[in-house]
Amino acid sequence: MTFLIDCPDCGPREALEFSFGGEVTPRAGPGATDRELAAALYFRRNVEGWQTEWWVHEAGCRRWFLAERHTKTNEIRRTYRPEDREAARA
Amino acid sequence: MSERLPERQGEAIRRDRPLRFRFERRTIEAFEGDTVGSALAAAGVTITARSFKYHRPRGLFCMTGACPNCLMQIDGVPNVRACTEPVIEGMHVERQNAWPSVDRDIHGWLNTFSFMMPPGFYYKVFQRPRWAWPLVEPFIRSKAGLGKVPHDPDHRRRRKLDLHPEVLVIGAGAAGLAAAAEAAEAGASVVLLDQGREAGGHLLGDATVRTRLALMRRMSESGARFLPQTSAFGVFAGMLVAAVGPDALYRIRPRHVIFATGAIEQAAVFPGNDLPGVMVSSAVELLLHRYGVLPGRRAVVLAGNNDAYTTAWALKDAGASVTVVDLRDEGWPEGFPVFAGSSILEAHGRRRVTAVTVGPPGGRGGQKVTCDLVVNACLQAPSTNLLALAGGRLAFDETAQAFLPVELPGTVHAVGAVAGARTPDAAIAQGRLAGLEVAAALGHETSRDEVDVLRASAAAGGDPVVLPPDASTTAGKQFACLCMDVTAKELKIATAEGFDSMELLKRYTTITMGPCQGKACMVSSQRLCGRATGRSFEETTPTTARPPWVPVELGTLAGARRTPRRETTLHDRHVDAGAEFMWAGEWRRPHHYVAPEAEVDAVRNRVGVIDVGTLGTFRITGPEAVELLERLYPVRFADLAVGRIRYAAMLNDEGVILDDGAIVRLSDDEFFVTVTTGNTGPLERWITWWNADWGLDARILNMTGAYGAVNVAGPRARAVMEALTDADVSGDAMPYLSASRVEVAGVPSLVLRIGFVGEMGYEIHFPSAYGEHLWDAILETGQQHGIAPFGLEAQRILRLEKQHILVGQDTDAETDPFEAGLGWMVKDDKDDFLGLRALRDLREAGTKERLVGFTADDGWLPPEGASVTDGERWVGRVTSARHSAAAGSVVGLAWVPAAWAVDGRRFEIRFGGTHATATVHLEPFYDPRGERVRS
Repeated sequence: MTFLIDCPDCGPREALEFSFGGEVTPRAGPGATDRELAAALYFRRNVEGWQTEWWVHEAGCRRWFLAERHTKTNEIRRTYRPEDREAARA
Repeated sequence: MSERLPERQGEAIRRDRPLRFRFERRTIEAFEGDTVGSALAAAGVTITARSFKYHRPRGLFCMTGACPNCLMQIDGVPNVRACTEPVIEGMHVERQNAWPSVDRDIHGWLNTFSFMMPPGFYYKVFQRPRWAWPLVEPFIRSKAGLGKVPHDPDHRRRRKLDLHPEVLVIGAGAAGLAAAAEAAEAGASVVLLDQGREAGGHLLGDATVRTRLALMRRMSESGARFLPQTSAFGVFAGMLVAAVGPDALYRIRPRHVIFATGAIEQAAVFPGNDLPGVMVSSAVELLLHRYGVLPGRRAVVLAGNNDAYTTAWALKDAGASVTVVDLRDEGWPEGFPVFAGSSILEAHGRRRVTAVTVGPPGGRGGQKVTCDLVVNACLQAPSTNLLALAGGRLAFDETAQAFLPVELPGTVHAVGAVAGARTPDAAIAQGRLAGLEVAAALGHETSRDEVDVLRASAAAGGDPVVLPPDASTTAGKQFACLCMDVTAKELKIATAEGFDSMELLKRYTTITMGPCQGKACMVSSQRLCGRATGRSFEETTPTTARPPWVPVELGTLAGARRTPRRETTLHDRHVDAGAEFMWAGEWRRPHHYVAPEAEVDAVRNRVGVIDVGTLGTFRITGPEAVELLERLYPVRFADLAVGRIRYAAMLNDEGVILDDGAIVRLSDDEFFVTVTTGNTGPLERWITWWNADWGLDARILNMTGAYGAVNVAGPRARAVMEALTDADVSGDAMPYLSASRVEVAGVPSLVLRIGFVGEMGYEIHFPSAYGEHLWDAILETGQQHGIAPFGLEAQRILRLEKQHILVGQDTDAETDPFEAGLGWMVKDDKDDFLGLRALRDLREAGTKERLVGFTADDGWLPPEGASVTDGERWVGRVTSARHSAAAGSVVGLAWVPAAWAVDGRRFEIRFGGTHATATVHLEPFYDPRGERVRS
């Protein structure tokens, strides 16, 4: 079912308005080893618990942002724009 | 038999507004405000349905939509609860599950043969011999189910409404009305739901209407929004409450929910407890006070405490003679003949109750009392199902003799009968208290003093509850479950067979699984299950609550019937030209106008024009726009001059082709990007995602649909363009792969020199509002050059003759640029781009398969997906094939082993029983050096 997501631009909206981009994983750049490339392309941690993931407010501002969601309860404790990633980590 | 009682205060019916409706072959007179059930009761109809399994006669029982006894087919809709369905002038009502009629149902014999249908009979009977099952199955199937599903499509429009109130109150009885009013008065936004047409709940059955009217007035003045005839049927993650109203589905996301869902009366269990004329007390009170119907003249009331005597008095006042059977030994008010310490041991009658046997519980014999109405007034089940769905925990309460909520999540509240309140005063106090507390929690100002006063009067109140025996000791069918015809004896057998918990009994005997979902049977089932397993009622937990709590039509839940459909700005012109349309993603595009072959001929020899307004288009701007494109595509853009175009495929980090298109540099920091029709949405997400991740200073604007586009192509395209614009469109001024902003037919346009079809082409992008003007101008100007509009089919032939691939048609989710013949665009000396790391590996590993052009004899046209074989082995497939006039043969594209990618290599194509020999042809079939497109 659906739940609410707090879009950094538009405020709380139904999850149906958003598209999911999956958990945040590092991209395998040009210098990546075979193992790093395979991990980035084909492996996900798939945690039960808090996960940082990409969402886009498709039916709203159409912007991508990050959300920390509990994969079991769908509770979202925080959302922020990608440019605030450093601040969010601190 | 019955007729209306004298008019009284608080009636639902308007006696000055008569209505008539059709009931099978009769016409029934009713009043506005009647339900189908009340009107039938007034007209003397006692049998309202035949039961599910045994086809036993059933009559009105609950009057609140909580039991299965009055499900009828109304205006074609099956399983409508007649007791709550408002009468509409001229409606057509039919009873169900009987033939030829409910009154004379020939399947009544099933009742006699019930010994052949023990619990779980479909696992037991007719299993041996095996040949018997096919013979009896059709009969059993035709007997199963209720009502007739209508065959005609349902065109009723149902709305889906999202509400976000601060407070949702479910149930507009005494407690719900008080809670909604209190919270709304404090300033909270409140939505109040009730299944009934009017608020009031149990108060509707009260002889005095003062309390109800005062509560309703206060609620309506408080600003709370009341939704009548709307039933909550589920509570989902994140406290999403789903409710169904007249032709509407509500998705309600409140911050607090107050459950004032009340309690549901249930029947005591004794032989004949399902006969027409056996009712619960609230049904009797509603019939008397709301509809002026006296349901019987000689009533027997089964009482557990003094609350039951209110019903007894109401019946007596209306002219019935009343006998009370009291489970207690003492303590009742005066005024009625009372059987002390007794219960009903058995009810007699065939088509309606005619007498009951009364005596001490557990005893035999007893005394027979003639009657035509039996009133159950001793068993109430708090309606906790939705509360349980909301995360509430239930536990047995000794005083209430029922399961009540004990632990609730912080934003969930329970008030009134569902929380154990047994008087209106207690329910109102609980409601007001919850309303105030919720308002305070939401930050609205409330008075602390009032809260303390209310807390004192919110105790449950009422007389102690005395339950009837869980079953009678007299022999005969005593029903625990009215929906599925499950008897006390069957529960005992099932328990003995090892199904010894409520959850197992439910699955085995289907108890609580019928249309009522346990509303009318959960308590009886729990108590019987408890007894059979040697446990007490309180140790026998109810079955897991599951939505939907009330029946919901599939049409209410179904999505909109519409298929997304987009039309270009030129759609009407195509319709006028007689185009045959086809789907291209969500777009409607002309497949052809006259004949694809003639359109191909026009493009190759004269000039054609095609509507390409379905192409996805993006404007990418900003100081780092070029950096974004450098990272998105394998080709280079830094060296792309302003006014020049580069064709490129977009890849993901696996090196797989996602899309292809033209990228135009409009200025240093402004690009115009086209992508494949139908892939626009995913690509917008893709591009904006990477831009967000990389944090580049670039903006992406999806222009699809804002611009229209046409492609004018053919040897005479330049002649047409010269006549339409003052700009220099010569090959020198506007060469192949260049772009200019010019006016075409007076319309400011962006003209790209590209050609998917392999001829000299001008692709004109223009503000979509000017589409028809521009289209008309092109066709008019082009007339002297023999111009023809061409559709998608002609374009597909033309591009195939050039071996231009279609991403998604000729490629799949694993195709990399090397095997697709696009290796030339991979600039792996660039610092980085999506797919670079994987492509280095792929280049090193070499390709196993190649996409190659082929020709085949001009007979059989291999379908897309036809197999490429090596002897008997499958080694590849055809992705596109068409008859080509230019090549004089069938031409196509196919995946073949990389070693076969040699000009002239012959191979087999097979499909079904047909096969053909094909020849690899690596160069385009038409104009291999691309001179025409560059001209």
